[in-house]
Amino acid sequence: MGRKVDVQQGTLALMILKTLEVMGSLHGYGIARRIEQISGDLLAVNQGTLYPVLLRLEQEGAIRSEWGTSENNRRARFYRLTRAGQKLLQTETREWEQTAAIVGRFFQVKAGDFS
Amino acid sequence: MRFLRRFVARVLNSALRWRDDKRLQEEMEEHLALQAADNVRAGLSPSEARREALLKFGAVEAIQEGYWAEARLASVETLLQDFRFGWRSLRKSPGFTAVAVVTLALGIGANTAIFSMVDSLIIRPLPIQHPFELTYLAFPRDSTHFDPQFSGPEFRQLRDQTRAVFSDVNAVILGGLSDSGDRADGLTVDGVTRPTQTLFASGEFFQMLGIRPYLGRFILPWEGDAAGADPVVVLSYRYWRTRFGRDPNVLGKTVYVNGHAVTIVGIAPKDFFGPMPLIEMEAYLPLGMMTVETAGNTDFLTTPGTRNLLILSRLAPGVSIQRANVVLASLGPQFTKQYPRPGAGTTLQARLLRPPGLIDGPNPFPPLAGLFLTLSAMVFALACLNVANLALVRALSRQREMAVRAALGGSRARLIRRLLCETLLLTLSGAAAGIVAASFALRAVSSITTASELPIVLEFPFNLRVFLFAVGIAVLAAAIVGILPALRISKGNLSDILHEGGRSLTGRSQRTRSVLVAAQVAGSVALLIVTGLFIRSLESAQHADLGFDPTHVLNVALDPGEIGYSQIQSDDFYRQLLTRARALPGVQSASLAMVVPLGDNVPRSEITIPGHVAQHGEEPRADRNAVSPDYFKTMNIAVLQGRDFLDSDSESSARVAIINEAMAKRFWPGINPVGRNFKRDRDAQHPIEIVGVVRNSRIEDLYSSFSSAFYVPNSQDYTSAQTLQIRTSGQPQAVAAEISALARKLAPTAPVLSIRTMSDAVRNGANGLLFFNLGAKLTAALGFLGLALAVIGIYGVMTYAVGQRTQEIGVRMALGAPRRTILMMVSRQGLAIIGTGLAIGLLTAIAAGRLVGEFLVGIGPTDPVTYIAVSMLLSAIALAACYIPARRAMHIEPTVALRYE
Repeated sequence: MGRKVDVQQGTLALMILKTLEVMGSLHGYGIARRIEQISGDLLAVNQGTLYPVLLRLEQEGAIRSEWGTSENNRRARFYRLTRAGQKLLQTETREWEQTAAIVGRFFQVKAGDFS
Repeated sequence: MRFLRRFVARVLNSALRWRDDKRLQEEMEEHLALQAADNVRAGLSPSEARREALLKFGAVEAIQEGYWAEARLASVETLLQDFRFGWRSLRKSPGFTAVAVVTLALGIGANTAIFSMVDSLIIRPLPIQHPFELTYLAFPRDSTHFDPQFSGPEFRQLRDQTRAVFSDVNAVILGGLSDSGDRADGLTVDGVTRPTQTLFASGEFFQMLGIRPYLGRFILPWEGDAAGADPVVVLSYRYWRTRFGRDPNVLGKTVYVNGHAVTIVGIAPKDFFGPMPLIEMEAYLPLGMMTVETAGNTDFLTTPGTRNLLILSRLAPGVSIQRANVVLASLGPQFTKQYPRPGAGTTLQARLLRPPGLIDGPNPFPPLAGLFLTLSAMVFALACLNVANLALVRALSRQREMAVRAALGGSRARLIRRLLCETLLLTLSGAAAGIVAASFALRAVSSITTASELPIVLEFPFNLRVFLFAVGIAVLAAAIVGILPALRISKGNLSDILHEGGRSLTGRSQRTRSVLVAAQVAGSVALLIVTGLFIRSLESAQHADLGFDPTHVLNVALDPGEIGYSQIQSDDFYRQLLTRARALPGVQSASLAMVVPLGDNVPRSEITIPGHVAQHGEEPRADRNAVSPDYFKTMNIAVLQGRDFLDSDSESSARVAIINEAMAKRFWPGINPVGRNFKRDRDAQHPIEIVGVVRNSRIEDLYSSFSSAFYVPNSQDYTSAQTLQIRTSGQPQAVAAEISALARKLAPTAPVLSIRTMSDAVRNGANGLLFFNLGAKLTAALGFLGLALAVIGIYGVMTYAVGQRTQEIGVRMALGAPRRTILMMVSRQGLAIIGTGLAIGLLTAIAAGRLVGEFLVGIGPTDPVTYIAVSMLLSAIALAACYIPARRAMHIEPTVALRYE
């Protein structure tokens, strides 16, 4: 078993937003599955921790939810990205890329580069 | 936006006690069902699939907790929990709680009281509509002095020329400050006259302020334009309450101001004391009624050179004071050409009425406020240090408890929050007690001024600003007190602490406490030295050589001019009064004076001295007083050269004067001035011959250096307002009744404006010791608090520190160490800390002394007596704090000490 990576809350929110952008409307389990699949099971998400984050995003107005019917014909809550969420995702993505780029550059620096 | 939105949602959820259990429940159910179905599809048995799903989902309880934490303001609930916890734990140690709350109450109370005073003297706006639009007009004299006085014609012209920038322009005259008399006006009700501070205001004055009368009406816009035409008066609420017992029937009643009948038409609102700082206006009359002071003379309305009016104006809507000043500055030069004003600049200015208020010269309030706020901040810091020390000690003894909590899974943040909540509870209780204490203290301060005759307002109603201040510093105190113990506790290594078995005085905590004790000593030293300087300063002011002897002297202020006596009548009145007063048993001497020292405003005269060339453009000036023969005998001022005035110095005889030493030294250095001449610029055709020189004496205030002064016979310088001064062999109050009966017999309706002893005038006069007393009482109170805190703090901490070493001392004793050695050992440690604190404190005091130097009288800011006394006092306290527990430790049986845990 490979080492699993801890997920920070902020990152989790970003993943949720991205997932919803790609998939449209999705229920909690679907989101969890999707994140798991994409990360190649490398992420150790306690699936339950998703729900507090979903609630927060909804309170912030980034996503909206409504009752619907799941694959096995039961009541399930479906989440959808709002326009505000779309914007949030864009800015977050940009910031994330910047951070990643900066950190990446630091790792590439060799001792000789400073002299 | 996002945060706001979320916050609103959470607040709503909390408020509505929203608990959508069902939604989460359903979502979780569904989640688990889907996962289980997937797992079955992957080949697991149904029960195993369910188990796997649950495992993957995580701890349901924790997730629910997290979910609800997100849903509402979770902190509200947990905070309540934390506070409840804090309350319980405080209740468990009542000793600590009591000491801490009392200490904090003292610190916070002192600050709240001082802030409340600062608030009412500086910050609080006048209780009128849009107070920051109200200005007064003035020409600058220099950078800090202004000439705010205008004549009637000037006022009317300015009112017409400034319509573009001012919506209202009004004129007022402060009663009792005109050229003629120098005394509050007398208000007679049913035959009893009392001095009353009046304000003569033009018709639209109250309309400009935008306030409503408490009862009746104010002065009407058309009242006051004509001299003496509208005999109405509006009383202040406070005056109405004290003099009429809030009787609503006074409206319509006829009373007499300086003997002139006026009708009471209204009562001003409760919190309105007039436009001046500190001094309350007690009766408002129309501007034209100023004739009651000028005996019918209408110069104040018509003569351009008679400048008695202050001009108050309200900025027009949308006009800033800067723009108004641009317009006024452009008016100034033309205006001063039309109405010359020697000695003043030409830049007419509008200045905000408050702050700083109508004060000529540098505003004394901000530096005073700064001083007292600094002192009270020091008291506050000491209180916090004390409590921090206590809390630290308590925290150390609770380290184990905290470690256990942490080991059981309490998060560090939560533990810190709990401790901070506990501290906050402590400081807020302190603030509550402090507010109560402050209100008592303020009542005491307010009562000081009732001893004074002046209508000085020192009322400090509690308001929201003061309340917020108290709560604010309570929170600050919580931060100062709580942060150290909280950090200590959370930093500790769990297993170390759990294994230590309760004896947890590590080297580091010792050092922290040593620093705290040193800081405590330093702060106490600095505070006590500064307050000590003030107390010494008051003492020196009280025992300062006044140059006259105030004991056994009764002052009776009279003014028959107020009932319309002519000069001949009033001369006759005073002559008879003097003769009869001198004949009374127990009277050693009696005399009259225009000016009573340390109370009245002192008239100053421009003089010309033959042969004296004015240096650097400064006009020779001297204080003037008009007195009767025997004045120097009554006041006990030594006549050094020449003679006293005689009855033969009359209006028709040659002009004579007696000068003081300062004047002799300044204008006739090294020569005998007796027989020489000078002239008053006002009366240049009559040269005045100097017939005597008297000792310097205090005239205007207690602290400035003696200035030139001369005395003329009152027969040669008439005013109707005189003070009869009587030196008695016994108690001066004993003749008071006889004197006022005498005055009433001679002139039945003439008011006796006031009767008081000279000592009382010195003690409670505005220019005397009144403010000194007030300042010294405040500093003494703060100093006393500081001392109490220092004693509690230093003693408590030292005792504890030595107490901690009981076991060690027991071991040393058991091994045969002599007592002296142990005492030395204990003291040496204490002394090092105390010495450091003392040194820092002394340095701080020297720095602080430089700031307070300007407020000191008679001593320097490095007064050695104060420094030495305070150092010795605190050293003694600290040594006692070391010695007593050490002695106790030495007397313990070694066996007991060894078992001591």
